[in-house]
Amino acid sequence: MIAIRNLSKKYGTNEVLKNINIQFEKGKVYGIVGVNGAGKTTLFRCIADLENYEGEISSSRGPIKNRLGLLLTEPFFFQKITGKEYIQLLCNARKIKIADIESRNIFDLPLNQYASTYSTGMKKKLALTAILLQSNYYFILDEPFNGVDIQSNLIIAEIINKLKELGKIVIISSHIFSTLSDTCDEIHLLSNGSFIKFVHKGEFPALETEMKQMTIGNKIDNLELT
Amino acid sequence: MKEYFELQYRMINRRFKDAGIEPLLAYLILTVGFVALSIYLFHKTEFAQYVYMLFALTLIGNLSESRRTEFLKVCFGTIKLKKIRVTENLVCLLPFLIFLLSKRFFVSALLLCVLTTIFALVSFRATIHSTLWTPFSKGPFEFTSGYRNTFYLLFLAYTLTVIAVYVNNFNLGLFSMIIVILSTLSYYTKPENEYYVWIYNVNAKKFLINKIKLALLFSTSLALPIAIILAVFFDGNIGLLLLFFIVGWAFLISVIVTKYSAYPNEMNITQGILLALCIWFPPILVVLIPYLFKKAENRLSSLLK
Repeated sequence: MIAIRNLSKKYGTNEVLKNINIQFEKGKVYGIVGVNGAGKTTLFRCIADLENYEGEISSSRGPIKNRLGLLLTEPFFFQKITGKEYIQLLCNARKIKIADIESRNIFDLPLNQYASTYSTGMKKKLALTAILLQSNYYFILDEPFNGVDIQSNLIIAEIINKLKELGKIVIISSHIFSTLSDTCDEIHLLSNGSFIKFVHKGEFPALETEMKQMTIGNKIDNLELT
Repeated sequence: MKEYFELQYRMINRRFKDAGIEPLLAYLILTVGFVALSIYLFHKTEFAQYVYMLFALTLIGNLSESRRTEFLKVCFGTIKLKKIRVTENLVCLLPFLIFLLSKRFFVSALLLCVLTTIFALVSFRATIHSTLWTPFSKGPFEFTSGYRNTFYLLFLAYTLTVIAVYVNNFNLGLFSMIIVILSTLSYYTKPENEYYVWIYNVNAKKFLINKIKLALLFSTSLALPIAIILAVFFDGNIGLLLLFFIVGWAFLISVIVTKYSAYPNEMNITQGILLALCIWFPPILVVLIPYLFKKAENRLSSLLK
């Protein structure tokens, strides 16, 4: 379990997160949605202990960061490191020994090529493979479906279901609503640094409609397209 | 074209300012450093002109990277691109050229000019699909990528060792050791993305000790072949070789702790001066290393708890 109490985060005078309170339970998948700049990535960085913050973030299994698989929106790769060496690096960091990395390459990535030469989608799949092989208990996946082909999206969705089955905690952000509605148990709407709404699985279609209305409104009409 | 070079000049100055040094002072230090190293190189070995040419071409070759060339082509068009590339290559070549001419290596200077001009007219694809094998695959990332970036220097060092034995010149052998040591030091000069520190589930002290252990192990494996060859063929100098090893290790540790004592920023000018002082008087390292280790531990403690 991860419990967040009264979490606030400021950059100078700009308050990015405002008094966030939320609890993430074992064996559940949580979707976090919100427009660009709503505070999703900052929230993830706070949970990962990559940022200083006000408030409290605690977990039932000791320091979160040591058992957290963090998939960044745009993973960074060193020059002249192969895909296999990248996975090795992440496993070494957590003292995980993998006898045969090749056999765990479910996305069929060219592991002996330099990771920096991979396409956007391949980079994401490599980063995801590496954090999965770290045997983490918590997962934060920031835009895991972005830039990834349809086939791999299906695999990622299945992986998330498997993690849920294994009793892990998965937190996902995505701008593609359908990917969240397929995988999440709850979706939380973040706006201007605060959670303004949360819905369970059965209410996802209503939330989608509401978000569409909120976001689009009559903006398209204002374009006066002819 | 004029605006392009003005912009380059401003960008270089900005980098110096970001590192906390006045551009004028930086240019002065670089000039003095370049001349001093050149004199040292030419004093130490008769093959200096070839080493010198290799360094110059490596430096200039970086400007021919394909994405950079493509970007310039989009901005300036084909004809202007060629003018810009030839000009900037020759500007970078100038210090090497002046020194070679002052030493009366006219053929090397001419050859360098020709090669530099050719370099300006071609672009190298940096995204080569073949992967260079490395013995450090199991312990990424510094030595894994560093080895691939500097393998030609290591090859040069091993070749110089063989030549040193052949011409019975122990100093040349020591110079090849210096090449290996400097190459390995260069693997630790840039701070990595915070994610690659954050991923470790150890505290800052353990993290630093592990980094140092791995660096010592890997750097020794690179320098050992040279040391063994020199020890066999110049057995009277084993003591000096051992001293070189110890000083090399001390410098490697100091560069690692210096890097993390400034983390996530790049090393600043004060740290650079401290390291330079150590080159002048290595015993300072005995005090400097523990001090910087403690500082590095503090710096990393926010990411590693």
